[in-house]
Amino acid sequence: MAGALVRVIQRTKTNLGIVAPLANGINNVPVRYQQTQAPPTKSKFGPLADSDRVFTNLYGRHDWRLKGALARGDWYMTKEILLKGTDWIVNELKTSGLRGRGGAGFPTGMKWSFMNKPSDGRPKYLVVNADEGEPGTCKDREIMRHDPHKLVEGCLIAGRAMGAQAAYIYIRGEFYNEASNLQVAIAEAYQAGLIGKNACGSGYDFDVYVHRGAGAYICGEETALIESIEGKQGKPRLKPPFPADVGLFGCPTTVNNVETIAVAPTICRRGGKWFASFGRPRNSGTKLFNISGHVNTPCTVEEEMSIPLKELIERHAGGVCGGWDNLLAIIPGGSSTPLIPKDVCETVLMDFDGLVAAQTSLGTAAIIVMDKSTDIVKAIARLIMFYKHESCGQCTPCREGVSWMNKIMYRFVDGNASPKEIDMLWEISKQIEGHTICALGDGAAWPVQGLIRHFRPELERRMQAWACVHGPSKAERLY
Amino acid sequence: MLRQPLTRALALSSPTRVAPVVPAARRFAEQVSVQPEKVEVFIDDKPVYVLPGTTVLQAAAQVGVEIPRFCYHERLAVAGNCRMCLVEVEKSPKPVAACAMPVMKGMRVKTNSDLTRKAREGVMEFLLVNHPLDCPICDQGGECDLQDQSMAFGSDRSRFTDIHFSGKRAVEDKDVGPLIKTIMTRCIHCTRCIRFASEVAGVDDFGTTGRGTDMQVGTYVEKMFLSELSGNIIDLCPVGALTSKPYSFAARPWETRRIDSVDVLDPLGSNIVVATRTNEVLRILPRTNEEINEEWLSDKSRFACDGLKRQRLVTPMLKDSRGNLTPVEWEDAIVAAARALRDCPPDKILAVAGDLADAEALIALKDFVNRLGSENTYTEQYFPTGGSGTDLRSSYLLNTKIANVEDADFVLLIGTNVRFEAPLLNARIRKAFIHNETDVALIGPKVDLTYEYTYVGDSASLVKDLAAGTSSNEVLKRLESAKRPVVILGADQLKTEEGAALLAYTQELALRLQDNLQDKEWKVLNVLQRTASQVAALDIGYKQGVGEALAAGPRVVYLLGADGGVVTREALPKDTVVIYQGHHGDAGASIADVVLPGAAYTEKRATYVNAEGRAQQTLPAVTPPGLARDDWKIIRALSEVSGAGLPYDNLDEIRERLSQVSPALVAYGDVQANNYFAQARALAKSLQKPVSGKLDVQLKQLEDYFMTDAISRASPTMAKCVQAVLKQKTSPY
Amino acid sequence: MLQAISRVTTFSKNGLSRSLPILSLSNGRYASSDPTCKKEAPIIENDAVLALPEERRMQNALESTIVVPVKVDLSPITGVPEEHVKTRRVRIYQPPKNAMQSGTNNIHHWEMEFDNRQRWENPLMGWTSSGDPLSNLKIQFSSPDEAIEHCEKNGWIWYIDVPKTEKDLRPKSYGLNFSWNRRTRVSTK
Repeated sequence: MAGALVRVIQRTKTNLGIVAPLANGINNVPVRYQQTQAPPTKSKFGPLADSDRVFTNLYGRHDWRLKGALARGDWYMTKEILLKGTDWIVNELKTSGLRGRGGAGFPTGMKWSFMNKPSDGRPKYLVVNADEGEPGTCKDREIMRHDPHKLVEGCLIAGRAMGAQAAYIYIRGEFYNEASNLQVAIAEAYQAGLIGKNACGSGYDFDVYVHRGAGAYICGEETALIESIEGKQGKPRLKPPFPADVGLFGCPTTVNNVETIAVAPTICRRGGKWFASFGRPRNSGTKLFNISGHVNTPCTVEEEMSIPLKELIERHAGGVCGGWDNLLAIIPGGSSTPLIPKDVCETVLMDFDGLVAAQTSLGTAAIIVMDKSTDIVKAIARLIMFYKHESCGQCTPCREGVSWMNKIMYRFVDGNASPKEIDMLWEISKQIEGHTICALGDGAAWPVQGLIRHFRPELERRMQAWACVHGPSKAERLY
Repeated sequence: MLRQPLTRALALSSPTRVAPVVPAARRFAEQVSVQPEKVEVFIDDKPVYVLPGTTVLQAAAQVGVEIPRFCYHERLAVAGNCRMCLVEVEKSPKPVAACAMPVMKGMRVKTNSDLTRKAREGVMEFLLVNHPLDCPICDQGGECDLQDQSMAFGSDRSRFTDIHFSGKRAVEDKDVGPLIKTIMTRCIHCTRCIRFASEVAGVDDFGTTGRGTDMQVGTYVEKMFLSELSGNIIDLCPVGALTSKPYSFAARPWETRRIDSVDVLDPLGSNIVVATRTNEVLRILPRTNEEINEEWLSDKSRFACDGLKRQRLVTPMLKDSRGNLTPVEWEDAIVAAARALRDCPPDKILAVAGDLADAEALIALKDFVNRLGSENTYTEQYFPTGGSGTDLRSSYLLNTKIANVEDADFVLLIGTNVRFEAPLLNARIRKAFIHNETDVALIGPKVDLTYEYTYVGDSASLVKDLAAGTSSNEVLKRLESAKRPVVILGADQLKTEEGAALLAYTQELALRLQDNLQDKEWKVLNVLQRTASQVAALDIGYKQGVGEALAAGPRVVYLLGADGGVVTREALPKDTVVIYQGHHGDAGASIADVVLPGAAYTEKRATYVNAEGRAQQTLPAVTPPGLARDDWKIIRALSEVSGAGLPYDNLDEIRERLSQVSPALVAYGDVQANNYFAQARALAKSLQKPVSGKLDVQLKQLEDYFMTDAISRASPTMAKCVQAVLKQKTSPY
Repeated sequence: MLQAISRVTTFSKNGLSRSLPILSLSNGRYASSDPTCKKEAPIIENDAVLALPEERRMQNALESTIVVPVKVDLSPITGVPEEHVKTRRVRIYQPPKNAMQSGTNNIHHWEMEFDNRQRWENPLMGWTSSGDPLSNLKIQFSSPDEAIEHCEKNGWIWYIDVPKTEKDLRPKSYGLNFSWNRRTRVSTK
């Protein structure tokens, strides 16, 4: 789930520059996006050269502990980076064009700069969202179990950039081994004086805590995550106030995804310009892609942003089972994003803008490939069941709407429904989307919308088939 | 504008409701802080200037636009979870929750645009998906927010096709005690009850369990809602999930006649609405009065009304030769009573007024007894007579006033369990505790006040040390540094032998603090009376200390609703004639020789003065049962027969007499600021004797709270509450 | 409204005691103290009584003299029994919000009602009977002034009950639920 729940603001090109309602204080003036990129000159994206990889131990072939991490270049010149100060780090992040890797894709540099208001006496916190629960997503766990020092170092640098006192890493409860590795890495870093009092000898005190979740998907939503750390039920808060204003324990807080934090040290070391050289403008950098489903070799791989989806699958996942022509649809960004059918998959570029143009979203870049053997309706119904199960129940549209959608979807699987209900389902999903407190409602509505958008004939065919056998559905009675 | 002082007339709000109105109570808001500049926002293109931080919903309310809501309640924290209040804001891609969204400069809100209406209709549809269609058998029917709003904002038809397949959700009902009936299937999860319980009642028992569709509001383990304010969640519930158990299936709201009245079961005089049908009080609801009860009502005041139908004295009675009370005609009873009074030497007549006596009856009785040549009119409660005694009003009132307690920054409670003696005053203190960071300290037995307080101890000498300024306790420092301290002395302490000294020390302490305050208007001294009648009785001039009068061996005792058990047969000479006038067959009637049935507070137009000294009148909602009559009329008739006829024949005349005694007694709705504190303090100096006792209060636990007077003792509901609380105490939860 | 206030000011001078009868019969023309002095019922100008306010203003304007508005007393011609005019008192009030409902649409007006009189259960049907013809007379007004004017026109004794519902507006804040140093922080959901 990670930040996929952070609402994706569907932007058109025209209003892209304006972030709609933000926290009161600092954000009263509309904030402009960083306009850093040079005119687009690149036309071919990927494959990523090995020398440009950020995560060099993604597959755990090397030592994940401090010794190995040092050998791979982690913790190199961290002190110097810290001593360059807040503005330098934030600027470097802004130059890099890094956008949040949890799903919403909010520019990280800007997010961190929100924290640099004059202090009112409250401590500040960095919270790392390691509650990776979105079906299909498995990038953060690779970082935490095989490269935990990247995350710990990232926490320190990000904490320095926003003047935070401590970082809380909220890790998914099911990730036992990952939490264990992470804890070991933190202990090593403490022992080596890299974090804690006078971290890395920079004179800056910084603590890192690991907080294990208890298995609720919704706790991956940033405010629900904060609530959960506070010991309350993981139910999202309304925004405003944004966490940068009132966050963890009522103090200014920034919640970032594991991957966002973990790439920060490398960006600082190699420079924002280097990172910005990958991918299309506004979609720069490298990214971990998780490819699962009907592919020959499912994998997690670091690739350049804006790589064509087809190339990504062919090159790294060994192609779709039974060949590209056997492809039915792909969910490109974790279970909450709308699916795209094969014809879109041919050309779409894997980045924020490219997928928005295809009426879907990059999300967490967890690609779920479904070949023609898939019962697509049942697949989406299963996803809705997941969201129904994980809805926190706080706000009405999500609590009532998603379970209603779930009921309808399972009837659609059998075809025991009226064709008119397809439009009704569409409307229901629209009534949920954008009306809930957090983005889980949106995440539940989008798969349904994707299904209806691209597979309406399939739904109608099933209903016809069912009516042939059983007679008209009872659902017809209401129409 | 009957005998209405000018101030009240001026307080008449203007009909448009938009123009600013002078608040009747003085607000002690931070006078030093400068009001921040107001920002302009547009609600449906109407400009309105509001303070920064105001929510969209509040801003809309200022221009008279009511945004529909379920979870939002102005006296509870914002939850923002029902999503009914979604409105369109220009430049925002999605509708925003008006209840939580602070306004921003130049914001343009559209409360009736297509997007807004679509959002409301969608939320409404979702709420109704799992809401049972049992309105015909639901007690909330007719006064249900969900009904109202689905009529106004919902769709005209259902498209919930799944009713043919899986149906609706059903939830097991909870058992939260004998007052609240739960039908949890109807719950729309607005969490108002949860927030009320944790914020206002201070009993954090409610919460949600489960998630998604399985989310349930409840107590997790089966547990009674142990609060004296529990009934308010019935009002708060926007649907029929929480309804009144005693009132269940009793009536429809449109069948009942609602009469505005005043509660008399606690000293605060909460404003109520009495709902009646076929000459029967069916239920009592709170009526908003910002200066007293806001919109809450305590459980006793709300649910003891079924006591009005039981144990009633419906006919005059005389004790026959075998010592049994037998029904007689009014004439016989009046004549018997008059004869007893006439034959008695004046100094052997004793009149005792009880807890629920109204001002008209009190003055009539006093005038009558005086005309008979006696001065022996007493109340069951006690107030020390030394020093200024009852001469100065400031000595026996809540001078700070209930509403102003909210603005206090330090509250010292001396020998009082405010929670059960005046639940809504306690709610105010709790409100101040939560919202204004007010700190509280308590001298007296350790009780659960629902908020944290500094426990000073229970020894009376602590008060003395504080008054003398010699205490080493940090509370003294807190009191002295407080800008708006409040000291509340419980009336329970006055009864003790050291009561006079305690009062004197409290006065000394409070006035020493008051003299040092910058805010010269602020009053520190408060005495919290226990009953609704005491203040009026003291105003009228009732004497204190019935014990001594009883020891003098009265020949005729006239009990005006005196059921407190102060007057007993054992304490009286054998041949004493006891005349009891009242509405319930309680302690007083059981020792009486002559019983004169009077009217209860729902049956008469009568004046009650609350603990602040605020006169309010009850209005007759039902007719007194049987042959019972208005109390003052009984006394008037009796005076005529006794040959000491009182000079007033109707209510206006008796109220004129009241105003002669004290204009405050007929200044309905208002309360005057008290003065002469310094004089009272000076007179009390002589009473500052050493004290050594321990402070104790009568009402310690919730089970003590429910049955404290004739009406609540007759109420089966209150009896059930006591039982349920005792049972809950044995439960492991 | 202003009338009402000024009236109270004058009567508060007279003392609280006698405000009542004078108040409602304040019209000098009809309020002759001793009925025996009168030979016959006072003559009422029907035009003045029945004319609409605008018409009356028009008439007044046409007459070139300044006419001080005279109060009208309809009680002699309404046919309401004297008992129900003289002994009843009218309460003018704003209906209270129903504690069970959030909506306030039906309370933004003023009402008048008569004092509640005895009712009894009718043995025939078990319904409640009343001997009071005015028991169900509730009239709504948009302002207390109108209500007062109406009562005085009809010769009813009235009094106003002003609800104490004004309170200072305190901005609500959702953020306070999570405040780090305030007691408004919530623990329960």
